[in-house]
Amino acid sequence: MSTTAVVTRTVHDRWVGIVIATVSIGLLLVFGMAVYADIGTDVYQSLPEAVRSVMGIPAGADSATLAYNVMLGTMGSLTLAGLAVSIGASAIAGEEREGTLGLLLANPASRTSVLVAKIAALVALIGAGGLALWGASELAPVLLDVEVGAAHAGAVALHVTVNALFYGFLAVAIGAWTGRRSLASGVPAGLIVVSFMLAGLLPLLESTEPFVNVVPWHYFDGSQPLLNGVDWGDLAVLLVGVAVFAAVSVVGLRRRDLLARALGTSLLDHLRADPRTRRFAERLAGSTRVSSIAAKTATEHQGLLLIVAGLMFALMGLLMGPMYAAMEGGIAELAGQLPEDVLAFVGGTDMSTPEGFYRSETLGLMAPIAVILIGTVVAARAVAGEEHNATLGLLLANPISRTRVLREKTLVTVLFVVVVGLATFAGIAGGSLLGGLGMSLPNIAATAVMLVLLGLVFGGLALLLGAATGQVRTAVYGTTAVAVVTYVIDAFASLNPDLADLRLLSPFYYYRSTEPLLNGLPWGHAAVLLAAAVVLTAAAFPLFARRDLRQS
Amino acid sequence: MSGQPAIQTRGLTKYYGDFPALVDLDLEVHRGEVFGFLGPNGAGKSTTIRTLLDEIRATRGSATILGMDTHAQPVEIRRRIGYVPGDLAMYPNLTGRDTLRYFANLRGGVEWAYVEQLSERLEADLAKKIGDLSTGNRQKVALIQAFMNRPDLLLLDEPNSGLDPLMQREFQDLMREVVAEDRTVFLSSHTLSEVERVADRVGIIRHGELVTVEGVAKLRAKAIRRIELAFDGAVDLAPFEALPGAREVTATDGRVSLSFDGDMEALLGTAMSTGALRDLSTREADLEEIFLTYYRDAQVVA
Repeated sequence: MSTTAVVTRTVHDRWVGIVIATVSIGLLLVFGMAVYADIGTDVYQSLPEAVRSVMGIPAGADSATLAYNVMLGTMGSLTLAGLAVSIGASAIAGEEREGTLGLLLANPASRTSVLVAKIAALVALIGAGGLALWGASELAPVLLDVEVGAAHAGAVALHVTVNALFYGFLAVAIGAWTGRRSLASGVPAGLIVVSFMLAGLLPLLESTEPFVNVVPWHYFDGSQPLLNGVDWGDLAVLLVGVAVFAAVSVVGLRRRDLLARALGTSLLDHLRADPRTRRFAERLAGSTRVSSIAAKTATEHQGLLLIVAGLMFALMGLLMGPMYAAMEGGIAELAGQLPEDVLAFVGGTDMSTPEGFYRSETLGLMAPIAVILIGTVVAARAVAGEEHNATLGLLLANPISRTRVLREKTLVTVLFVVVVGLATFAGIAGGSLLGGLGMSLPNIAATAVMLVLLGLVFGGLALLLGAATGQVRTAVYGTTAVAVVTYVIDAFASLNPDLADLRLLSPFYYYRSTEPLLNGLPWGHAAVLLAAAVVLTAAAFPLFARRDLRQS
Repeated sequence: MSGQPAIQTRGLTKYYGDFPALVDLDLEVHRGEVFGFLGPNGAGKSTTIRTLLDEIRATRGSATILGMDTHAQPVEIRRRIGYVPGDLAMYPNLTGRDTLRYFANLRGGVEWAYVEQLSERLEADLAKKIGDLSTGNRQKVALIQAFMNRPDLLLLDEPNSGLDPLMQREFQDLMREVVAEDRTVFLSSHTLSEVERVADRVGIIRHGELVTVEGVAKLRAKAIRRIELAFDGAVDLAPFEALPGAREVTATDGRVSLSFDGDMEALLGTAMSTGALRDLSTREADLEEIFLTYYRDAQVVA
């Protein structure tokens, strides 16, 4: 069998995702440039060279190129890396999970050749994505008649592509070695988040700056490719990683037994398998986890909850307090150099107060991602997941109504979002204590409440889409798309008073515009988010009750 | 209440877009019988069962189970049924025991001793994870799950898949015990042999339409068999050709073969008087041949 078929099939399965992602980023780029261009460039021309460099603005460029930084450098790199992880994790482990790898390998093709075909598809898809991003970044300024000066958008696109391949190949390697897709997507995704954060934070402090060299994300944008062009040394580091992961994949796949259907083995399974602990483990959870639909659903997602809540508590909450305390002086000095309107220009964050620091590092992007992720994953799979796995038929052969199934799954969604909110609250409160920052506890609580409400809005949307269509994909992609678009709308519309009305459509506006960490709970905004969450969730019920269930 | 039929459908119809998966199904399944629901793949068997379970909704027509409307009282109905889906999937990460516990908890009122008893009879391994079980062993868990609440009606969609012959027999015994207690089994299958051993009556469905409902004995009688008779030496074909119900009579080297749906006694009598009968073999009529019988009958009537 020619493995070309494997390449084309994989590309065929995945190209739509790449197209949607790159077209969206392209559109957002145009939108962002238009907003920046509209604000004007006067203020920025007066900045000293050093400040411009810190802000990542190329010399001789229009302020519009700031959009490159946000759209291409941040959104583009995260999106393409995420897609690469998704494709990479499915390469081997995904086929194993679906039970199709055996069939694939029944053809006269070796494991290695199938792996190579899958890798080729990954490279082709991500390469095409990178090219599309480059095309969009060349096209956008022409469309808007904006001066890009010395900005190296092509270099950024190349860095984005190689960076994505690094994480994609890591996912392939873990999948090939273990056969477990959850591990193959979870570990690289976690690495993206952590290294993205560390690459931004470590250089801020002199004592931690050297450690940035072990952070993969540093090799993506540490050299500031938008300013300085392609850094071949950094790319070489990433490519060495790619090569190592590829070799690991080949060895890993050849050495092991293939799984008929990948099974997760939890700590509990180990305890139950061991005769000494069996009785204890059985009592602890053996019967608890199957005691109700809610309990079972909760145990299915407990690993993700532990990771997300743990990260929010320890890294994004607790650690940020002492970190701020350590670099308070440096931040204040940096902030002092910038005129106030420039601060507003780059997002309006005043990092010189602990509240501003937390807002920028924890609450701006990471906390929303955490609650939206947990809410979307649990809600999207609520009924659509059981439909996809064809287990809903058997479940609904029991004397329980569809409404009850959805209700118990909704309960778990809410519970999980609340747990992440609580972890964030505890983390920030602890961080404030550890760093001696003296932030207001009620205000931290108010922030966590707004965070939970934001998570419930998107959880409600995912629940609605999943319940109405029965398709996990639609629910996840649909919710993600709405989240990204409304996030960008809020971020950019806040820069331009003309677009103020548009902001009202974005849940993020209600979540953060009043700065609850400084000003306490905005009751009106909280009510809007709550109402949206309730309406979306409630609408899921009749839609689910009314339709035909999918066979699988 | 017990006077009402186990299943009754009136003009039950399901379209997927323009495709008629089920057309005007009128069916009545009595209490205390095993009803075989027979049809080739894609005939509409699963569509019927899924409609009865309110998983999908009829385009028109209605159905009752144990006297209750399938769309109006689905939860009440499900309390009294057991179900094995045709496209069986369970939670791969749960053991068989946890799976059964889960469903028992959702259902309530399941006697665990009976579950243990069923699992012994079917020799099911409940300690292993579902994902580690073979198809047949997974099927056993599904069967226990369907039988464990002693339901008034069992809806079994191709339940034999993967079971070895010994287990199939045990499973048939289970079904006989169910009907002995005046409970009902609705058994869907695409092979006649699977159904005829236990079923009292059989409904045949094809292209979404019910072709006929017959007693099993009558159906067998109607079925064409391929029969081969081996004689010592050549024999005269004429007496066989003259038999009512005999067709396509051919002979090679003392082996006579024919299609036959007539009286078996008459055939044997003829064979004995024609020559020295050494061997006799009969191949089971398959479903397609039975369909042909019905189509032929329909044409005769027309």
